[in-house]
Amino acid sequence: MDSVVAFAVFGVDWEFIKPYIVLGLALGGVYALSGVGIVVLYQATGVLNLAFGAIGAAGALIAYWMINHTSWPHWLAYVTCVAFGGVVNLAYGLLFGPAFAARDPLVKMMGTLGLALILLGLMAWRAPVGGAFARFLPLPSSSHTFTLFGAFVNWTQVIALAFAVGLTLWTTLFLKYTNLGTAYRAIANDREITATLGVPVRRVEASAWFGSGLVAGAAGLLLPDLITSLDYAALTFLVIAALAAALIGRLTSLWATLLGGLAVGLAQAIFAPYESITRYRSAAPFVLAILALLWLSRHRVVTITRTAR
Amino acid sequence: MDTTPTPGRGAAAAARAALPLDRGTLVRVVAIVVFLAIALVFLPTIGSDWTTTFTSVAIYSVITLGLGILYGRVGLISLGQVALLVVGVWTGTRLNYALDLPFPILLFVTGAITCVVGVLIGLPALRLSGLHLALITLMAAGAVNVVLVAINFPNGGGGFTGRTDTPDLSGLEPVRRPSIAEGDTAYYRYVVIVAAVMFLVALLHVRGKPGRAWAAIRESEPAALAAGVNIVFYKLWAFALASFMAGVAGCLLAAQVGQPTAQSFQTQDSLTLLAVTLIGGIYSLWGAVVAGCFSQLLPFLFQVQWGINPNFVLILFGAGLLQVLLTAPGGLAQQFPKDMANLGRLVWRGLGKVTGGGAPST
Amino acid sequence: MIEVERLTVRFSGVTPIDGMSVTFPGGTCGLIGPNGAGKTTFFNVLSGFVKPASGSIRAFGEDLLKMADYRRARWGLRRTFQTEQAIEQLSVFDNVAMIYEHSGVKGAGRRSEVEAAIEFVGLETPPRRSVGGLGARERRLVEVARAVVGRPRVVLLDEPAAGLPEEETEHLSSVIKAIPERFGALVVLVDHDMSLVQACCETTAVLDFGKLIASGPTAEVLRDELVIRAYLGTEEVL
Repeated sequence: MDSVVAFAVFGVDWEFIKPYIVLGLALGGVYALSGVGIVVLYQATGVLNLAFGAIGAAGALIAYWMINHTSWPHWLAYVTCVAFGGVVNLAYGLLFGPAFAARDPLVKMMGTLGLALILLGLMAWRAPVGGAFARFLPLPSSSHTFTLFGAFVNWTQVIALAFAVGLTLWTTLFLKYTNLGTAYRAIANDREITATLGVPVRRVEASAWFGSGLVAGAAGLLLPDLITSLDYAALTFLVIAALAAALIGRLTSLWATLLGGLAVGLAQAIFAPYESITRYRSAAPFVLAILALLWLSRHRVVTITRTAR
Repeated sequence: MDTTPTPGRGAAAAARAALPLDRGTLVRVVAIVVFLAIALVFLPTIGSDWTTTFTSVAIYSVITLGLGILYGRVGLISLGQVALLVVGVWTGTRLNYALDLPFPILLFVTGAITCVVGVLIGLPALRLSGLHLALITLMAAGAVNVVLVAINFPNGGGGFTGRTDTPDLSGLEPVRRPSIAEGDTAYYRYVVIVAAVMFLVALLHVRGKPGRAWAAIRESEPAALAAGVNIVFYKLWAFALASFMAGVAGCLLAAQVGQPTAQSFQTQDSLTLLAVTLIGGIYSLWGAVVAGCFSQLLPFLFQVQWGINPNFVLILFGAGLLQVLLTAPGGLAQQFPKDMANLGRLVWRGLGKVTGGGAPST
Repeated sequence: MIEVERLTVRFSGVTPIDGMSVTFPGGTCGLIGPNGAGKTTFFNVLSGFVKPASGSIRAFGEDLLKMADYRRARWGLRRTFQTEQAIEQLSVFDNVAMIYEHSGVKGAGRRSEVEAAIEFVGLETPPRRSVGGLGARERRLVEVARAVVGRPRVVLLDEPAAGLPEEETEHLSSVIKAIPERFGALVVLVDHDMSLVQACCETTAVLDFGKLIASGPTAEVLRDELVIRAYLGTEEVL
């Protein structure tokens, strides 16, 4: 623990910590953009999508197969990965969204758990893991590096962070200044009333499913390159770090989600070089999420609604 | 219906209904006795790998029992029940190496310690809404998993973690089983009896004062409050009961496998556990038995008996979960008897047609 | 007897109850007023769901506002809600027994007291039947049985006749009328059905915009010009 105290109080050897900051910001970028995708879908449909990571993981596996087992161009694999996320998420939304629409948010979330299990099962079945099966999905951007303040930075890391900031900014502007964005905000406020006002709720929700799915696919493409291995179980549980970011944003604020995601990524990466706590650093998302949840609960709310059914 | 109150008739109806052993109860008692007889006498004779599997089924039905009560009776979702199971396995293993307690006391102490851990997680979380509560249990499960990977299970070493990393593991004893049940078959019967006791505890809760208070909370919190129910206390009680069961199951599991490893518990298991609990059925205690079979027997059948990739089970769980949420909230425990009754009627009618239309139509 | 003095409730910007002072002397008392007059808010104050900004409530000499919400049931406060609150998964008997168990009554008389309550409301279904299979009228009766079991001191009924056809309301009104004598409890009845209020209540208080505009013997109150104008809008009283 000494080293942590030293870090917090006296500052540390910057040269030593720099690469981890770069990595943390990049990882945090992926968590943040996933968090934004989760928050937007939750606001528009009331569904907290636990299958977010599994969708990205499945997309990444398909891209891996296309690159290694076909002669198709690589860019097609990357596009397929992102598009797969959008299509699968949209298909789930169209098939099950209406059936779950009137249910409690808890039940809606459990529905996506079903989707996550189906995808996990498919991946484990068709693409078993094990030492001999280690997979990699490198992006061309990671082979180009440059030096920033004395630290090596590759372009995937830049893309991850820039994508997160750009997505947050774009979504904020979109919600504020476009008609579709206004419809989103109206639905988030009250679905029934918005529907009676003539807003095509189904179509707006479908766009949220599709958009959020595209983000899931993109996250599934970026993360394997950043952590230099394609492990679908790890990718599936990206959703936990993303949820942590979303919870720090109280499932409403996009900018707080962005900051939350970056904080989770940094916390995870910065402690890596410290012997005494490195084994516990992967608990960072959980601990931050729990703290966020407890902070949310400091006022007791008496629920006047019925409990989940 | 006649609306004028006739006291005499009401009292007679009350007396009839209050008789303790009506037909339904009798059927249930007979079913339980037959079931236990099959479980204790017939099942151990099939084969040794079957016996091991059925031991796991019995252990897992105890965890799903707690989880089912939590969701079905109180409306709370825990996505972290496997973490509590891990706490149970760890505590059971550690106490097993450290103390020379009789096994039933070991079970109880492990359950009690796990119960305290569960309550400590639940206490702040119960102030949250259902969705947030589910998420905080998921996060807590993830955190427990990280700690577990770091310290692993005790293997007979010293210190708090009770683990030694010497490469030579030959001198290390496995977790000890009860002296009366050291063999696999005897241990299986022991586990079934412990599980039966847990089901009895659950039944007493559900049918008693806590069960009624839980039903009131689940129906409407303001109404329960107005009825004088201490909501936080009863929610916490449900949490404590589910944690206790996870702890007992963990201790049983530790003694079954002998040398538990961190790799055999994953965050993903919490999700599948919840899925099988719902598929089994959360409004009936039988649902927990079905859920135990789904989580342990089905993968065994797939992999060992039928040679199918066991990961295929996950797909079934996912699809089953969606189906239960959308069309059959009572799960298999409620759906199966209904379907069988329908099938019976169908067969009966079909037979009637074949034999010339003598069968009564219902 | 319940004495309410200068009770005021404020939510951000709204004052649903504004300096209300009223006494419910005993027996069955009506509380009427147009939608949004503050009737249910008043019940919520009595139940402890809403903390008033100022004022006091004394019930049988005790300061009700000082009591924790879940203790009020133990003290003897019962209520029904506008929306149905009978618990579907439980049997009729368990529904009533559940209230009894938290009523603070000690002793071995559970079964007989619960059965007495079920019989009192005139429910003819077997007590072991689950509430999920009952009709609207029977569910209402279960709720009334829940409200009278376990020695209540004050019974608050929030629109118990809502959605019931007329002939069933008659039976309900005979049950409500019998509560004070049989259980010694004070009943406060909120309903929009004037014939029910007239049939059950000796005294009635009228709320409008959170203020008490009339109270007294029911027949007099319903003739009061102010009440007719505020509450009913037209001359058509009954």
